[in-house]
Amino acid sequence: MFGLIETWRALEAKGVMGINRRNADYVLMYNERSLYPLVDDKILTKQRAIEAGILVPEMYGVIETEKDIEKLQDIVKDHQDFVIKPAQGAGGDGILVIAGRFEGHYKTVSGKILTHEEIEHHISNILTGLYSLGGHRDRALIEYRVKPDPIFKSISYEGVPDIRIIVLMGYPLMAMLRLPTRQSGGKANLHQGAIGVGVDLATGITLGGTWHNKKITKHPDTNNAVNGIRLPSWSGFMRLAADAYHLCNLGYIGVDMVLDQNKGPLILELNARPGLNIQIANNCGLLPRARAVERHLETLREKGIQETVEERVRFSQERFGHVTSHD
Amino acid sequence: MRALSLHLKILISLLVVLGVSVTAYQIFVLGIPITEDVIDDLWNIEAKIEFQANPGVPVKLQMYVPPLDQDFVSLNESFISNNYGVSVNQVNGNRRVTWSARRANGKQTLYYRLVVTKRYSAEQSKPTGPVFREPIPIEGPEKIAVEALLSSIRQHSADIETFISEAIKRVNNHNDDNVKILLGGDTSIQNKARVIELILSMAHVPMERVHTIRLNADQPQTPELWLRSFNGNRWLFFNPQTGAQGLPNDRLIWWAGDEPLINLEGGRNPKVTFTLSSSELNAIRLAKMIDENTEANILKYSPLYDLPLQTQQLYQIILMIPVGVLVILILRNLIGIDTLGTFTPVLIALAFRETQISYGIILFTLITALGLALRSYLEHLKLQMLPRLSVVLTFVVALIATISLFSHKLGLERGLSVSLFPMVILTMTIERLSITWEERGGGHAFKVGIGTLIAASLAYLLMNIRELAYFIFTFPSVLLLIVAFMLAMGRYRGYRLTELFRFKALAKD
Repeated sequence: MFGLIETWRALEAKGVMGINRRNADYVLMYNERSLYPLVDDKILTKQRAIEAGILVPEMYGVIETEKDIEKLQDIVKDHQDFVIKPAQGAGGDGILVIAGRFEGHYKTVSGKILTHEEIEHHISNILTGLYSLGGHRDRALIEYRVKPDPIFKSISYEGVPDIRIIVLMGYPLMAMLRLPTRQSGGKANLHQGAIGVGVDLATGITLGGTWHNKKITKHPDTNNAVNGIRLPSWSGFMRLAADAYHLCNLGYIGVDMVLDQNKGPLILELNARPGLNIQIANNCGLLPRARAVERHLETLREKGIQETVEERVRFSQERFGHVTSHD
Repeated sequence: MRALSLHLKILISLLVVLGVSVTAYQIFVLGIPITEDVIDDLWNIEAKIEFQANPGVPVKLQMYVPPLDQDFVSLNESFISNNYGVSVNQVNGNRRVTWSARRANGKQTLYYRLVVTKRYSAEQSKPTGPVFREPIPIEGPEKIAVEALLSSIRQHSADIETFISEAIKRVNNHNDDNVKILLGGDTSIQNKARVIELILSMAHVPMERVHTIRLNADQPQTPELWLRSFNGNRWLFFNPQTGAQGLPNDRLIWWAGDEPLINLEGGRNPKVTFTLSSSELNAIRLAKMIDENTEANILKYSPLYDLPLQTQQLYQIILMIPVGVLVILILRNLIGIDTLGTFTPVLIALAFRETQISYGIILFTLITALGLALRSYLEHLKLQMLPRLSVVLTFVVALIATISLFSHKLGLERGLSVSLFPMVILTMTIERLSITWEERGGGHAFKVGIGTLIAASLAYLLMNIRELAYFIFTFPSVLLLIVAFMLAMGRYRGYRLTELFRFKALAKD
């Protein structure tokens, strides 16, 4: 009992945000419920992003009805590799990654050969809602296959690592690199056993990591240190995240991005209820940063100023960046 | 933001004040018992009248009976006699029964029975009485004695109350010469009352005799004389022996005035004996009895008692649902246990009512586990979600039927207790768990399942506290307090208990 009170005090002193506070003070305050479908549907998000000129993996096509499936040939004829995703899928289910062609067949990343009919069957499954939340009818999205930058080779197991930045009213608060593990089955999802690595907002250099609520310094599969790696194009990520606010008008979001070896940082999806384990990865509470942004916004509002993306990124980097790694 | 929390604070305080005051009103003003086990004394008073009838002449016996407009509620009143006509009428604020017969022979016995209780006495109408009276004319030494006493009493008193009290004390002081003259050697209580009345009348203070019965079953009772005076607002009662003011709680006023208890024509040797006995009755049953026997409607302030009995039982359960929801709220937002939605655990708790908790938990675990096992087998068949769920649900129904059949064959009656309601809840739970499994993975589904089971068991245990069910049913305004707490919880921003463990790594530095 006494220990719990001490833990409480320590967490409070560090400004760690709990679920209740996140829901009451941030998600409820800044995120309008009616805008949720925008981030829940990957096609809607992507269309908005394209209109706003924000970088996302190129959309090759959308299949909405069984009849549309015929168009698949047409959509992918110019592309050797592509990804098929359910628009409203959760936890990475139903995603089919085609890495190349072989004798008129399709080849997945793991080298499995699929016929055209098998792919059509998969899309049909997506349309009937096999992978969507609650089993609703869904749409299939066919898009550019992200080729992860080789920098992640040493600290990642299969899959595509992604970068999440939590953004409050367009101001990046905290960043985390999510690395798939053998346990997470190549998915960059912390619930499923992926590891999260904190990233310094100013420099893009990785800090310590978290795995199952614990602090770690090495990747469990490759045993390589996860800290001290400088992420390329870091300022690109920061700008992208700060810009994502205009995309959906949700004030408190987690922006999930990937680093493509050819196209640089791209937005994958947005999350209206970003998880809180990013705090363990960064060994830092979200609250002081969120409050600093809120105070800053208050003074700006009094002066009647609205800051540009660059100014917002600079504010966040100056205020929250340049932290030293913990270990 | 600030305006919002002020608004919320006002709303919460409003609900709390309303809830507390309505409940307090029911408890303290209406006297509705807090628990079902509160019992109350019920007094059975029997007056037995015996006399010898004179042969050949009509018999008429009049007796005062207690007025019904006092602190006691009369539940039942009966006049028992053979071949006598009975009539009750009001005489000068008293009630009097008249028994009459054309002719009677030999020893006669009449009974008057009354059942009263003190709880739930109705609001008293404002009493009225005389505040002034003419002096009783007296002459000679008596007049001098009274005047001497009066001047001394005036010096020792401040108002009517103390004046009367002082006068009574003086009259009870047998060493006072003035008192000796007035009493004339007769120290009976009746004579004292006469002298007290005389003294008070000289000061224009009205005084009245009241005859009371003491509610005490241990010894035989006879009417006890008290004096009372109206102070313009209420009656003040005085003990004629001591001058002490105030009528004790256990006195029932039988009649007021100077006349004797009974008045007999056509008979002789009347004798009245009082027998008292008390019995105890559950307070809520008592209230129902009063509602039935009188025009009072105590329980209208607990409106749910107006419902038919069967509906009442249903509402006793339904009113506990908010308590269950409260448990879930606390478990989720304060403790941080994951459950399947908010309402599902409460529904499971309700299902446990029908299956009993231990059997319910076993059944729930068994059927859910088998249902989910089938689900994961079906996953290999790559079926679509809805057909897959349909198969699972059909399987669950078949499974429940099988369990019922087996336990029946084995002679376990419990198995058959799975009625429609728990079955619907079970299938629904499995559906929701399956969806959770689809969306968040098996580990999470398992965690949520355990959390739901714990929450449901706790909610069940709380919802089945009889005292609590009674309390909320009788004082439904308590629900306002629950709502107030829920509203307050809506703005709770502190950590959840499980978060203290989740973020433990952050606390260590």
